[in-house]
Amino acid sequence: MSNSALSIEQAHSGVVRIVALKGRVDSTSANDVLACLSNLISEGEKAILVDLGGLLYLTSAAFRVLLVATDQAERGAARFALCNVIGHVRELFEMGGLLDAFTIHGSREEAVAQLS
Amino acid sequence: MPQPTARSVEIVIRNDMAELATLRDGLERIGAELGVPGKPLMQLQVALDEIASNVIKYGWPDGGNHKLCVRISGQQDRIEVEIVDDGREFDPRQAPPSEPQPAGRRQPGGLGIHLIKQLVDRLEYKRVGGRNRTVMTKQYVSDRRSS
Repeated sequence: MSNSALSIEQAHSGVVRIVALKGRVDSTSANDVLACLSNLISEGEKAILVDLGGLLYLTSAAFRVLLVATDQAERGAARFALCNVIGHVRELFEMGGLLDAFTIHGSREEAVAQLS
Repeated sequence: MPQPTARSVEIVIRNDMAELATLRDGLERIGAELGVPGKPLMQLQVALDEIASNVIKYGWPDGGNHKLCVRISGQQDRIEVEIVDDGREFDPRQAPPSEPQPAGRRQPGGLGIHLIKQLVDRLEYKRVGGRNRTVMTKQYVSDRRSS
C-alpha cells in the first residue's frame, strides 16, 4: 500500500509536457513531485502542465512543492499550470486560499490549448 | 455478520517522514473497517499528515532519534486521533494563521495548521509531563446503514 501511494506519469502533447499525479501527495511523497518538476524545468521544458485529476488528496507539503515549482518555472521562463483541480482536491485548494496562487485550467485539453 | 462499531490501534513511529506511511495505512484500515466515507477519511488523512509531519520537522531542533505515539480510535460516528510526543512544546491551536501573499511569494509555514483547523471537528492540546498531547476528532456518517 505504502509504495503505491503516488504515481507520477509523464506525457507530451505538442510542446506541452504533462505530469499526471495519481494517488496522494503528502509529506512522504511531495519531494518526488518536486524532483520531477525541477528536473523538467532545468532540462529546459517551456510548458509544463500538472494534471491533478487522479489525486485522492494532497497536503500542505504538496502545496509547498507546487509553489516552489511555480517560482522555478518563472525563473526558467517556463509556463506552469495545473488542470483537473476537482472534487476533494479543489476543496483543499479553497481551504488553503490557494486557488489564486496558481494558473489553473479546467480539462487537460483546455490547458494544452492555452499552453501551446 | 455484525459490523464492527469500534476499532482502536496504537502505532509508534520514529521521527522520520518515511514512517508517516505507517500512520496513513493504519488510519485507512480503521476507516475501511468502520465504513468511513471517502471525504471525511481523506480530510482526516490530510490532518494527520500535517500534525505528524509538523512534530517530526520542528519537535526536536537538535535532531536525534525520537518517537511519536499515535492512537487512532474509531467509533460509529467519529474517529479520534491522539498524537503524543516529547518534542518541544507546541500548541497547534495557537499557531498564527497563514497570511495571504501574492502568488508565488507565499510563506507556507502556517498552512498545514490552517488546513487542520478546517478539516477536523475538534482540535485539542495539552502539555502533560513534558509531552505534547494533541487530539483531533473527526465526525462522520457511516456508509453502512445500521440494522
